[in-house]
Amino acid sequence: MTNEEAGAMLHAYVDGELEPSRCVELEAHLAANPAARAACERLRGMSAAIREKADYHAAPATLLGPLLAQVSGPAASPATSAPRPSIWRLLPGTGVAMAAAAFLTWTIATGYLRPGETERITQEVLSSHVRATLAQHSFDVASSDQHTVKPWLSSRLNYSPPVIDLSAQGFELRGARLDYVGGQPVAVLVYQRRHHVIDAYVRPAHGPAAAVSLTRDGFNIQSFARDGMEFWLVSDLNRNELSDLARLLAQNPA
Amino acid sequence: MKFDQLVLPHLDAAYNLARWITRDDHDARDVTQEAALRAFRFLDGLRGEPRPWLLALVRNACMTWLKANRPAELSGIDSLPAELLPVEENTPETIALRAVDRRMLNEALAALPAFFREALILRELEDLSYRDIARITDAPIGTVMSRLARARRLLADSLRAIQNASAPQVHE
Repeated sequence: MTNEEAGAMLHAYVDGELEPSRCVELEAHLAANPAARAACERLRGMSAAIREKADYHAAPATLLGPLLAQVSGPAASPATSAPRPSIWRLLPGTGVAMAAAAFLTWTIATGYLRPGETERITQEVLSSHVRATLAQHSFDVASSDQHTVKPWLSSRLNYSPPVIDLSAQGFELRGARLDYVGGQPVAVLVYQRRHHVIDAYVRPAHGPAAAVSLTRDGFNIQSFARDGMEFWLVSDLNRNELSDLARLLAQNPA
Repeated sequence: MKFDQLVLPHLDAAYNLARWITRDDHDARDVTQEAALRAFRFLDGLRGEPRPWLLALVRNACMTWLKANRPAELSGIDSLPAELLPVEENTPETIALRAVDRRMLNEALAALPAFFREALILRELEDLSYRDIARITDAPIGTVMSRLARARRLLADSLRAIQNASAPQVHE
């Protein structure tokens, strides 16, 4: 393999998109060629720098209100953009529907109505995480041993959450605590990456869950399901590394 | 509601892409809003993963916006030849990219031509596969690869230039 050929493959390699057989070839080339290795390291360094330091622009809270206002009533568009009285005669119920939609929008936007389940859990895990951080009480059982943490949780809950050791992948298990989310006690696994604490809330899944990936108040929140359990990750860690953890938790055997 | 479950969880990703392409808070809001409304209207046409699907709508709205407001950003950029990373290049002034200043990096990213910028944002900030990026940006995978390679090359060059300008005494 020439340096040119290696250079052409390097981006796909660093992006994890190179097919396995070519990976082997390229890795052999890298092993024998310090300049190519340095180029590879530079690319990895750049990727890491962008992931850690590029601004992630979360949607401003003021975007959601007007958006919900527009989508919560199908009557909104004909009524506001081009008034056509004939339509109103044909659809006598539309006016009522619109008023109901407007009320619904207002109540959702102002928080008077109970928000949707996804939104509610999002808020609850976020406040729980912030509370634990403020109180400097992240875990009730401090142990990096999954065989200590798992029985501790199982004996206090009516389910047994998977506890996964990911220290080899750079996510150190620090311990666990119990918290109260969605009207029930839940397991909170506490992981650490560099100086970032990550709370992983684990509870039995209640039907198909939304895969949440959002940023709120400077915290990143992601959710996913595995083996009938729902995981909610909350941390000030950047989104990409939090996604890495989500992927690891979703795939690794407990 | 389906919209709450499928679209709203990815509103941040939508806004982030729009903000990086338009480089303006106000325009990013308008574009995101427009794309989200389209998503609402065409929700029944959703096949596969909602996030790339929504991002394709956002990207589309961004391109319409660029054509109307900053057509220069879209002219001729992509006809530049794809450049490969020169492996033999191992200059001593190669900066430690991991240690690069946050503000500097954001400025250099924002200064990249639109097609390169969006490819890099989708890859590094949204962690999407080449296939998804190709779908979102309506380009063949080969084009995605060459845009990414060129984007990284340009970014490294401009970071190096900024670094040298701010510390001219460290020439070797």
